[in-house]
Amino acid sequence: MVYITSWDEFVDRSVQLFRADPESTRYSMKYRHCDGKLVLKVTDNRECLKFKTDQAQDAKKMEKLNNIFFTLMARGPDADVAEAAGKDPTEAQATKKGRGRKQ
Amino acid sequence: MVLLQPDPFLNELTSMYERSTEQGSVWVTLKRSSLKSKVQRNKLKTAGDPIEYRCLIRATDGKKTISTSVGAKDHQRFQASYATILKAHMTALKKRERKDKKKAAEGAGSKKARQGS
Repeated sequence: MVYITSWDEFVDRSVQLFRADPESTRYSMKYRHCDGKLVLKVTDNRECLKFKTDQAQDAKKMEKLNNIFFTLMARGPDADVAEAAGKDPTEAQATKKGRGRKQ
Repeated sequence: MVLLQPDPFLNELTSMYERSTEQGSVWVTLKRSSLKSKVQRNKLKTAGDPIEYRCLIRATDGKKTISTSVGAKDHQRFQASYATILKAHMTALKKRERKDKKKAAEGAGSKKARQGS
């Protein structure tokens, strides 16, 4: 079991994994209130990435990741809206800036 | 394995979290699925129809498993409610303590002593 220490690396690699094989990639979350621990796992049945934490701040980051996965899974692996909104605001802004010139 | 509609699923998930506060874990798994067998999928592919994908969500507390399937239309509403449930229940996680490392160590030490006795 590979435990990733950096959150951003975990997110990047799990999205990569999903895009490479959307049919078999799944995302699991285990929460233990008594221990105050949260463990996230993303696997495509070949490779496995895990992330564990006991920090409240990581719960917020996990919610964003949940949103990304929901969108990817429901809309299709080509939906880059979720990732764009969450990670690369510059790309989204480029199209918007062009529109603002109408006067 | 109980397949529910998204709203009853959320209610059941809430009660699962409430039941597991003293002991036990709650697992939630997300997977993309079209909910069709391979034969049906191949047929749809050859017919040229786009396969409608849904997000399959499963939750278990070790004893009981519930699941639901969310499509592209309902996923935003579902994800908002789901996020609310998570925020409400994941209260046992530690808040970040940048300063006072000594205090944190002392606090953890005294907490452990109290739990031990």
